[in-house]
Amino acid sequence: MRPMTPLHRFIWRDAERRARKLLSFAETEADGGRDLIRAAELTHDPTLRRLYLIHACDEERHAALFRGRSEVLLRSLSKRAFPVLQLDWISPGERGLDDLRVERASDASLLAFLHLSEKAAARRFAAYRDVTGRDPKTSEVFAEVVRDETFHMNYTLSQLTRIAPERRPMLLWRARFGRLWKGYLRLMSALADAIGTVILTLQYFILLPPFALLAKSTAKKEPCGWTPVSAGHDRLESQY
Amino acid sequence: MIVSKANTEMKILGISAHYHDSAAALVIDGVPVAAVQEERLSRHKNDAAFPMAAIEWCLDRAGLEPEELDAVVFYERPMLKFERILTSTLRAFPRSWRSFPHAMKNSLGEKVWIRGIISSQLGVPKSKILFTEHHRAHAAAAFLTAPVHEAAILTADGVGEWATLTVGQGVRGSEGTAIKLLREIRFPHSLGMLYSTFTAFLGFAVNEGEYKVMGLASYGRPTMANEVRKLVPRTSDGAFRLDLDYFEFHTTAKRAYSSKFIDVFGRPRNPLEPIDLATADGRRYADCAASVQAVLEDILLNIARSLRRETGLPDLCLSGGVALNGVANARILNECGFERIFVPASPGDAGCALGAALYADRIHFGEPERETPDHPFWGPQVDARELAVLAHQDQQPVEDMDDAALIERTAHDLAQGRVVGWMEGALEFGPRALGHRSILAAPHKPEMRDRLNRDIKGREQFRPFAPVVPAEAAETYFDLPAGGARLARFMSGVFPVRPQWRARLAAVTHVDGTARVQVLEEGMAPRLYALLQSYGRLTGMPVLLNTSFNLSGEPIVNRAVEGYLTFRRSGIDVLVAGNTRVTKRVSVRSRTEEHAA
Repeated sequence: MRPMTPLHRFIWRDAERRARKLLSFAETEADGGRDLIRAAELTHDPTLRRLYLIHACDEERHAALFRGRSEVLLRSLSKRAFPVLQLDWISPGERGLDDLRVERASDASLLAFLHLSEKAAARRFAAYRDVTGRDPKTSEVFAEVVRDETFHMNYTLSQLTRIAPERRPMLLWRARFGRLWKGYLRLMSALADAIGTVILTLQYFILLPPFALLAKSTAKKEPCGWTPVSAGHDRLESQY
Repeated sequence: MIVSKANTEMKILGISAHYHDSAAALVIDGVPVAAVQEERLSRHKNDAAFPMAAIEWCLDRAGLEPEELDAVVFYERPMLKFERILTSTLRAFPRSWRSFPHAMKNSLGEKVWIRGIISSQLGVPKSKILFTEHHRAHAAAAFLTAPVHEAAILTADGVGEWATLTVGQGVRGSEGTAIKLLREIRFPHSLGMLYSTFTAFLGFAVNEGEYKVMGLASYGRPTMANEVRKLVPRTSDGAFRLDLDYFEFHTTAKRAYSSKFIDVFGRPRNPLEPIDLATADGRRYADCAASVQAVLEDILLNIARSLRRETGLPDLCLSGGVALNGVANARILNECGFERIFVPASPGDAGCALGAALYADRIHFGEPERETPDHPFWGPQVDARELAVLAHQDQQPVEDMDDAALIERTAHDLAQGRVVGWMEGALEFGPRALGHRSILAAPHKPEMRDRLNRDIKGREQFRPFAPVVPAEAAETYFDLPAGGARLARFMSGVFPVRPQWRARLAAVTHVDGTARVQVLEEGMAPRLYALLQSYGRLTGMPVLLNTSFNLSGEPIVNRAVEGYLTFRRSGIDVLVAGNTRVTKRVSVRSRTEEHAA
């Protein structure tokens, strides 16, 4: 993280960006809390259920902390003409929780995944805490979150050791690979999405104008108000 | 009409998916046997994904394999919808250049291939897959579930394929069933979109925050109704159109209203900004809400009045997302000449799964008329033993009691100001908790409303809670017009609380003296009915506050474990599932003790 510190300092310097990033962190934490509740609902292990529940409550509290701080910052700002660039790829929040597929994971693989996710988040939030020193209130929020993340990181590892002592290294490696694979998929999806947008936008301007003219001229002829319903529409075989 | 298989039960699965509120419903031999929203199983609120879990549950419930189904009916025509999306984009050229790639990726990625998706996911031949029109599914959901043989039909929502509002009539009996839609209003002219545009303008989430606009409307005055009317002028044939200069929903996914709209109604509310009615902005937001509500009501009333005159029928079946507007529904009942209004328990898109299946059964296959049970409880059953096991594992106080003792005890809990999570029987189908997955509380003091808003539901202070009352006592406390009890069966109407009771029903009386009351007949939920009676004997007033059993941002609970975990992390004091009662020993938030574990 250290080499990234100047970049993080730059990203977190802007108050509006800071506020909006905190808001997006709040959403991620709230979603993560819901996924942990789902994990608590699905596990058959009472200890894990209790711990997931505590973890979920922590995530909900983090969401409230991030949201509250963001609201204070946003209220203190005057509105800009253009939205500020967020740079989410460079300074993400608790990435990983948004990838949870609780239903598909066993307790052990979920714990391995959570452990790595929390460890990364603890490191990241500690870095944000350090670079937001000029905004002590925001820094305090990160400090509180880091304390909880450390607990989450520890309990997930100790529980993984409890329920799958022999498979622990393998599960952690698998979870690491899974995180990498998901990161790759995210990147490729974003790339495919961008390429798709470019191609469709080109098609829009190159191919569509004559059809657009046609559509506009027919629109002018369409009367407003009631349209009689044609009887043929009650046939169920057709998708049209 | 297609001839059905002779002497065998028709098994028809209805599906709604991909926009909001996915659901599946199974109809066997003309009668619903199972229906559930995907969100209740996936635990993702407003889950719009293909409802595989809901389908699997419905089939399991009936012990069926997919290949045993006679038909699978999707609730709308995907290609017709795609045509509308493409045409609208073309008509908005070149302003739609940003939304075009998004709309195409969204539609072509999955939505238009629904026949293939259903076939591959369920393993049923494509020839068994049918499609109703969106508003026909709405019409069927209202008419074919209502205990009525002939009725006028009005459906209204944001948009289906092209239609946004339809009127028609239905008839059923020994000579067959027919739903005839007479005419429709087409996109982009839509009452649902008008209301959603104001929902977005007021800083609430579209398709979720419309309730909030309705709640907020009571705090304002319709001072801007004339301005709203300019947005939605009436046409010479008695319909309406939207003046598209004020809207952008048809050209971009980014914003629903235009700069011209902002010129008229002022700065839109930032979603993070609390609504403070003491400020000028807060009052303006409330007035905007009151104004759009008033205009919506006027237009609906006008259309409903002319439908009443045209059909001469005393009953109206009302469906579509707009039918969730209980204030408008009550005015239609009061002012349009209809004797009864039937709004199904699930008037939104989820209900279309059931509507589509019933429509295929009665009209496509021409199956004989069957009486549809008049209740909303078509989902999974709660397992009280599961709750007992969970509570034992966590050393929470748990008791198993017989019915009479449990009801007596719960009534005492409620009378002492405790908040009770109440789970029994099958889950409700639809957005409202009607007594099987409810949070119950004493309705008397405003402090209870504030406590529920603050500690459990985490929602805005201006949103009211609903009461539930036994049918026999409803008239005592609420000013119900003729037909009001029917409309209130599934909490579909907002009616005045009688003035003499408002102070004692403060937690459920909205600022304008009304309440979205549920009138409960004993046969629909006998245990809740017994609880109301017992509470009435203790307090002299058989009325309870009834709100859905969920926390903010979560769907209504389904299984006992979901209710239990909601109970553990919220301010609910007592949890009842079946005959099991659990109280709280320690809050989950006291971490110290849990750490020791």
